Amino acid sequence: MAERAPTVISARGVVKRYGQTVALAGLDADIGPGITGLLGSNGAGKTTFISLVLGLRSRDGGELTVQGRDPATAGIEVRQRIGYAPEHHDLPAELSATDLVRHLAEMHLLPRRAAIQRANDALWLVGLGEERFRPVATMSTGQRQRVKLAAAIAHDPELVLLDEPTDGLDPVQRTEMLALIRRIGSEFGMHILVSSHHLEEVERICDAVVIVEAGEVVHAATLADVRRGPEGLVVEVDERADELASVLAARGFEVTRDGDVLVLGAAQDAYDAVRDAVADLGVGLRRLEPRGRTLEDVYLGTSA
Amino acid sequence: MTAAPDARLFDLGYRSYDGPREPPERALATLAEFTARRVLGLGRGGRHKVLPAITLAIAFLPALASVLFSVIAEDIGVDELISYGEYTFFIGSALALFTSLLAPEALCPDRRSGMLGLYLAGPLDRTRYLAAKGAAVVGVMLLITIGPLLFMFAAFVLAGHGPSLGDAPLLLVRIVASGIATALLYAALSMAVSSFTTRRAAAAVATVLLLAVPASVVRSAIESADAPNALDLLSFPFVAAELSYRIFGEMPDHDSPVTKLSTPVVAAGLAAAVALGFLVCWLRYRRLESFR
Repeated sequence: MAERAPTVISARGVVKRYGQTVALAGLDADIGPGITGLLGSNGAGKTTFISLVLGLRSRDGGELTVQGRDPATAGIEVRQRIGYAPEHHDLPAELSATDLVRHLAEMHLLPRRAAIQRANDALWLVGLGEERFRPVATMSTGQRQRVKLAAAIAHDPELVLLDEPTDGLDPVQRTEMLALIRRIGSEFGMHILVSSHHLEEVERICDAVVIVEAGEVVHAATLADVRRGPEGLVVEVDERADELASVLAARGFEVTRDGDVLVLGAAQDAYDAVRDAVADLGVGLRRLEPRGRTLEDVYLGTSA
Repeated sequence: MTAAPDARLFDLGYRSYDGPREPPERALATLAEFTARRVLGLGRGGRHKVLPAITLAIAFLPALASVLFSVIAEDIGVDELISYGEYTFFIGSALALFTSLLAPEALCPDRRSGMLGLYLAGPLDRTRYLAAKGAAVVGVMLLITIGPLLFMFAAFVLAGHGPSLGDAPLLLVRIVASGIATALLYAALSMAVSSFTTRRAAAAVATVLLLAVPASVVRSAIESADAPNALDLLSFPFVAAELSYRIFGEMPDHDSPVTKLSTPVVAAGLAAAVALGFLVCWLRYRRLESFR
């Protein structure tokens, strides 16, 4: 993450314990601008970290700054420019969506007239314009997630914390929500920290990822760095992969084999060599592509 | 079709906000106002307005009756009307109704619905949150404790039963002092009880028990076991009523252990109950898990 702009959240050796249980065991992370995914399994410490960022819990050790301020000592200053959507879906049942979002915008120090206007704008943005006067109690889980997102952005915060924003959504709703988060992060200049345990969500919308396991950061990188991975080619053939591997090795290529899949190390003319070898052997070529990494590769590598 | 040269596009939808922002203290006022409106049922469905309306009706009824009686019966003496000092005693049921059924609305639903976490994720901390909630509860209670007395004061002045111009300021000060003391006591008790449960029904039952049980227990102990009269300071409704009598310089027409205590002791007892109630609430919230 070295090439990214100055950090939005900086954590150094952050420790949080609940009695004998260590929730964060010396967490180090630099979270930069844009959309960052906080990835980890349930119980990894994601929500605890968010609560420390908000200054709602006291840490037991380490240093943490949010936009240059320590939330433990300057919590009110930090929180007034943060938008937060919690994981839970419980919201005041009888309030309408617009009343709830307006009230929370006022609580984040917008003047009343601006809060009313922006609550409506935020609800239109998240796709609840026509439904904004409905009581929250009558809304589906997907709509409640959208209400929480609208409430988190109505006061135009600099940093938005979204805790499992796709929890409880069906695939279509999930896709829409992810597109919405991506749009908010890219069009309106807000930095977003998305907590999730879904790899594909983070991979789809985030600029960077921080992988947390057992209260520690096990990997942090931009998604571009993750995808870049080692150089080389991946070749998959119908049959006789062992013969193809031998031919390519004989021509000086570094080859590793996993079933019908061969991985060639970086070399000039690799594409031509594969083409010629496959043609000479007369085998069917299923796949020929640059070698790369997915977030899943990284995640499984870190959690192995 | 050609557009007018000065045409402008309004309603651009969601966009960045560069307008003014209020100071952080504004969040307290916003929350206090929002809470007070919810307690009174304003901006809510009709069924939420019934109890506040009944409570206010019970609170104002003695004042209204007293004023009407003074107007209709021309030869009535001031001493035959409900006095300011005994008003707190008269509206005991309204105070109990408000404290047990309405005041828990200020605290309980926020923890039940997860709003507490959303509030504390904004420019508030727990102390400021409780200050706003306390201000809302006390503010609404003042409608009950001061409102009827001010109404009675104004009506009596208009009907010619009021105090002289010289006595009026002192009477107004006494009305405000009595109203604030009573409101603080009931608000503190309600908030202390509400801090232990997320269910309004449970808070209502517990509040009724807190108002009734200590009073009956200590009075039995005083009468049957010669326990000290100071124990009657746990009879919270009677302490508030007694202090009102003392503030207005009146004597109650009934005899009870608390009437035998000196005014400083009664005032200190009420102040201690207020402080303890708010302290219990604050301590509960300090330890409360608000984040989930």
